[in-house]
Amino acid sequence: MSAEVSVPPARRSITASPIFGKIAASLVALFISFLLGALLVLALGESPLEVYGLLISGSLVGMPNFLVTLQMMSPLIFTGLAVAISFRAGLANIGAEGQMLVGALCAGYVGYAVELPALIHLPLCLLAAFVGGLVWALLPALLRVYLNVNEIVVCLMMNPIALLLTGYLSTRVLKAPGPTNKLPDIQPTAELSTFSLFSQANTGLIFALVLCLIFAVVNVRTMRGFEWQMIGKNAKFAYYGGVDVRRRALTVFLVSGGIAGLAGAEQVLGQYRAYYDDFSPGYGFDGIAVAMLAQFNPLAVPLAALLFGALNGGSAVLQMMTGLSKHLVQVLQFIVVLVLAAKLSWDWLKLGRSQTAAPGSDPPAEGPHVTAGDR
Amino acid sequence: MSEPAPVIEMRNVVKRFGDFTAIHDANIDLRPGEIHALVGENGAGKSTLMNVLYGLLPRSGGEVLLRGEPVDYGSPNEAIAAGIGMVPQHFKLANSFTVAENIILGSEPTRGFNRLDRRRAAEETAEISRRFGLEVQPGDVVGDLAVGLRQQVEILKTLYRKAEVLIFDEPTAVLTPQETRELFNTMRNLAAAGNTIVFITHKLGEVLAVSDRISVMKQGRIVATLDNRDVTAQQIAALMVGRSVILRVDKAPPSELGAPLLRIRDLCARGERGEVAVDNLSLDVRAGEIVGLAGVQGNGQDELVECIAGLRRRASGDIEICGKPTGRTPGDNRDLGLAYVPADRAHVGLSLESGLWENLSIGHLESFRWGPFMRTGAARKRAGELIERFDVRGGEIDKFAGSLSGGNQQKVQIARELTRPAPLIIAEQPSQGVDIGAIESIHRILVEMRDAGRAVFVISADLDEIFSISDRILVIYRGRIVADLAAEDTDQEEVGRYMGGLEDRPRDGASPERTAHVG
Repeated sequence: MSAEVSVPPARRSITASPIFGKIAASLVALFISFLLGALLVLALGESPLEVYGLLISGSLVGMPNFLVTLQMMSPLIFTGLAVAISFRAGLANIGAEGQMLVGALCAGYVGYAVELPALIHLPLCLLAAFVGGLVWALLPALLRVYLNVNEIVVCLMMNPIALLLTGYLSTRVLKAPGPTNKLPDIQPTAELSTFSLFSQANTGLIFALVLCLIFAVVNVRTMRGFEWQMIGKNAKFAYYGGVDVRRRALTVFLVSGGIAGLAGAEQVLGQYRAYYDDFSPGYGFDGIAVAMLAQFNPLAVPLAALLFGALNGGSAVLQMMTGLSKHLVQVLQFIVVLVLAAKLSWDWLKLGRSQTAAPGSDPPAEGPHVTAGDR
Repeated sequence: MSEPAPVIEMRNVVKRFGDFTAIHDANIDLRPGEIHALVGENGAGKSTLMNVLYGLLPRSGGEVLLRGEPVDYGSPNEAIAAGIGMVPQHFKLANSFTVAENIILGSEPTRGFNRLDRRRAAEETAEISRRFGLEVQPGDVVGDLAVGLRQQVEILKTLYRKAEVLIFDEPTAVLTPQETRELFNTMRNLAAAGNTIVFITHKLGEVLAVSDRISVMKQGRIVATLDNRDVTAQQIAALMVGRSVILRVDKAPPSELGAPLLRIRDLCARGERGEVAVDNLSLDVRAGEIVGLAGVQGNGQDELVECIAGLRRRASGDIEICGKPTGRTPGDNRDLGLAYVPADRAHVGLSLESGLWENLSIGHLESFRWGPFMRTGAARKRAGELIERFDVRGGEIDKFAGSLSGGNQQKVQIARELTRPAPLIIAEQPSQGVDIGAIESIHRILVEMRDAGRAVFVISADLDEIFSISDRILVIYRGRIVADLAAEDTDQEEVGRYMGGLEDRPRDGASPERTAHVG
């Protein structure tokens, strides 16, 4: 606007290319966790190279192994995507486990109790799972959005409630005849078909990948995606800027819950063909790790899920071939999460420090400015 | 006057941030028993220099001598141990703790088995407080204290740690004139007891009133150190800016005033702690005028503006924007025709960790709508044009807003808000943290907006700014408008008296029409 406006030099600490920085952060976290894992394996008296070799060959080499990995990663894509969507909008939906269980039960019930042609039955089951997950997310979402109750706490409490509720329904109310705690088998019309006899990997995987693609587009190309992102970055700013923050946040939370519910549908309709009590080894919680590793980017979720799925798939082989427990793999996964979380809090710490270190009128955090009128 | 040996000498101190040099070869000596003012514009490096002395920032070159001995503080703790104390501008106190607890926090007196000795803490606090004529009671809870008293707690904190050099960083920015006078008395008492006071400020009147010596900083250099005896405010001002200070923006007198675009009647609102912040306030801002709202911070300005913007619920009263009552959310009020440049850039006005194009697009989203989709390409293109048009230096559309300096962040806000087709503009502290060149251009933009027939409402704690651009000046004191003055008929002293609550009502001698709009 004027010739003699000051020239404040740009601060350089924020990276020019955020995308490379993000990828690097994930890779560094992986590298550190595998390094620590190697030390652990050494301490247990095994060769890290051999162990990692087994993990890779056991999960990725050979069609049967690879199909098992695909089977393992499918639910993680759903839960990872669910968590990623909510975190991107600044909402910590860590209740994917409970939402998945409820979604699975709904899919399992509609799957056996209703008789319809496949063209309608399967979508109806998926819808039921989506609605189930959504309903289970409703309470934490409403409390968060309207009363500002911490959603993490509520979600954490909703998870065991979901486990106990589905457990009660599947062992008492809707239990199939026989010794197993499960619902009756679903109708063939509700099945997600598998690719091969060797694995339970099914068309749900393709559905999951398509969903990731859709949300990648939603995030960067739609009004809603833009608004969600702004809410996540600075909700007060979004509100000030005219975004209907409450309604949008509610939508995100519910959609996130619905997608977590779809993870349950994939399990019931594609893998087990019935709702089994307590079927989940913690896919909902692993989804948090997957989402973090993917840096909440829908396109990166399948890659992160592939890695976690491969680790899970390889762990069985590992346990058979060495004296190591398959829990070693969980340790590795947890280290990844810890390193990534440490990085997140590191940013937060730095931000806090720069604010406290900048009292007065000339805060260095704002970047020093000079007047370039003369001299 | 004899010249005692300096307590502290800073020799050729250099401070760099990356490849930017914030402090160039600064030389300064501080003598015992003196009040040494450090003046300069925002961004001249005053605070940076003192942060180097206090150990908050490592220096990049030069040396610091304490009583002749070279020292190098890695942290404020070492500086405190050596007798240097800082009274920060933004108080760092635990509001739920008592005065005594705040004062001992971090260096608690203990008795056997490391137990906290509260009684001794209270006694020592009271003792220091008495010695320097301060008024705070050790048992008072800090959250209940007025701003001036909280500052005294900060002062006591440094004295409790046996500070002999006290750095006051813009101490008067938050004080009423009354509290400022008390602070100056305290400073004089402290200096008389042999302490060294560094007084960072950019208010020249205060400098001349209280200091013994004055160091002037400009663009990271100390350009002069003067005895208070031989200087005038004009001389210091000239040294500070290196050119004559432009006090008022060139502007034509306001043309015909139009309809009131902002109309507030009997507004009441409560503050964060439930106190009455805005008290039966009424005002109008009409198309074609710039109205400045002057007032010491914390007299209800923030709450008033938040009510207008829709960020705060009002307790009662009516607000109309462009003739229509305000809605429930900021979005509603924007639709009515409000453009709002908030003071809190970091939390409200910008998303610091988002790209400039995102920051520039919010509030304009509908213009990029294509069904459910967003034409991000168009949004980015427009952002690039705005960056160029409003001269945002160092601006690239993908750069984070947080990477810009305060002045350029302000330009981003202004570019976004003023390009909305909104007849009412509210600019809150528009020149806060902005250097003088950018202030001029921001003021010029606001005047252009007025000339284009918009209504401009400027809220500022800075009287220079109020006088620089306003056609009409309102003064807010304790949530009420206590004066409504035509800018050309008043002066800073009169407005200052209203700001301090000294003229709550028009005196008998005051012309009645001046306070016609008193609410």
